[in-house]
Amino acid sequence: MIIFAIIIGCALGALIGMNVPTISYTYSGYLAIAIVAALDSVFGGITSVLKGNFDFKVFITGFFGNAILSILLTWLGVKLNVDIYLAAIVVFVGRMFTNLAIIRRYYIDKWSKKVEKEEIKNENETKTMG
Amino acid sequence: MKKGEITITITISLMCLILTTVIFVQFKTINQTDITTLENMREDELRTEISNFKQKAVEIEEQLKTTNLKIKEYQETINTDKKASELLAEELEQQNNILGKNDVSGSGIILTLTDTRAQKITSEDLRQLLNQLRADGAEAISINGQRIVYDSYVVDLGGTFISVNGERLVSPYEVKVIGNPTYLESGLSKKQYGYIDTKLEQGKDVVLERKDKILINAYKGNLNMEYAKEAE
Repeated sequence: MIIFAIIIGCALGALIGMNVPTISYTYSGYLAIAIVAALDSVFGGITSVLKGNFDFKVFITGFFGNAILSILLTWLGVKLNVDIYLAAIVVFVGRMFTNLAIIRRYYIDKWSKKVEKEEIKNENETKTMG
Repeated sequence: MKKGEITITITISLMCLILTTVIFVQFKTINQTDITTLENMREDELRTEISNFKQKAVEIEEQLKTTNLKIKEYQETINTDKKASELLAEELEQQNNILGKNDVSGSGIILTLTDTRAQKITSEDLRQLLNQLRADGAEAISINGQRIVYDSYVVDLGGTFISVNGERLVSPYEVKVIGNPTYLESGLSKKQYGYIDTKLEQGKDVVLERKDKILINAYKGNLNMEYAKEAE
């Protein structure tokens, strides 16, 4: 059910995004930061689901809050003549990598356990055969 | 399905929608914008661009300086060339005046030699006169409009005519002379053995006239040398 919702949402979003007028290049930097922040939240959400401590409110607030906060920080950086967006990108992308690593390990563990089980099963079968 | 699950599903699909929309808008923007145009450049890029342009401007200014210097040099050489050519033209003009290729004017005297009943003017009389005039510093001479140049000749033609430069002349012979009038006149009119007195004694008619401005025409023939070449 949720997978369907995600697919439908993504397809609709792609369609809308293709047909919406482009924004000014000056603001595309802010948008890029927001996208990175949102993606970080998504991967964080997936990780927490796998870990079993997923909280929907935390996810929602992280998704929008991080995006908006990163935009504000970037804007502040422009005003202060400091490249704060670099810090935001480092933090978000770093976290994305950590989360991706966690997700990867989870599935590798799952797969290797499955393989082990099958091996044990096979061994048992051969014993009974013998 | 529980009510909470439905809300979660709808919210997640909405989030996906927003995220993909934004991502695609961003893709489109980046695709469509030409980064090389000035409006889309970042500040540091613009700065480097400006400094590049400044450097270029300095270089071009130096080039301009050197080019201007070159132009100045060329101008100077042109000027000197002009001066040289002017000098040459002046010299040529002077040489032409001396040779008799130009009309010349200046102060001098006019002598009129006329045949009388008793005596005719001979070519010898004219030759003597020319010699005397040259000795007195005549610069340009003509007889009845025939300019006397370096290879001019005055000969008798059968006792009737006098040939000057191949032209037949008859009396009266008007001899125009440009030079210092005082010297010319005094040279010709010495007492007793002077040219005029001698001729008058012989019964020939010679009249001398001083003029402030005499015009003498150019030599009309060719001044060519066929056989004589410059020696090496």
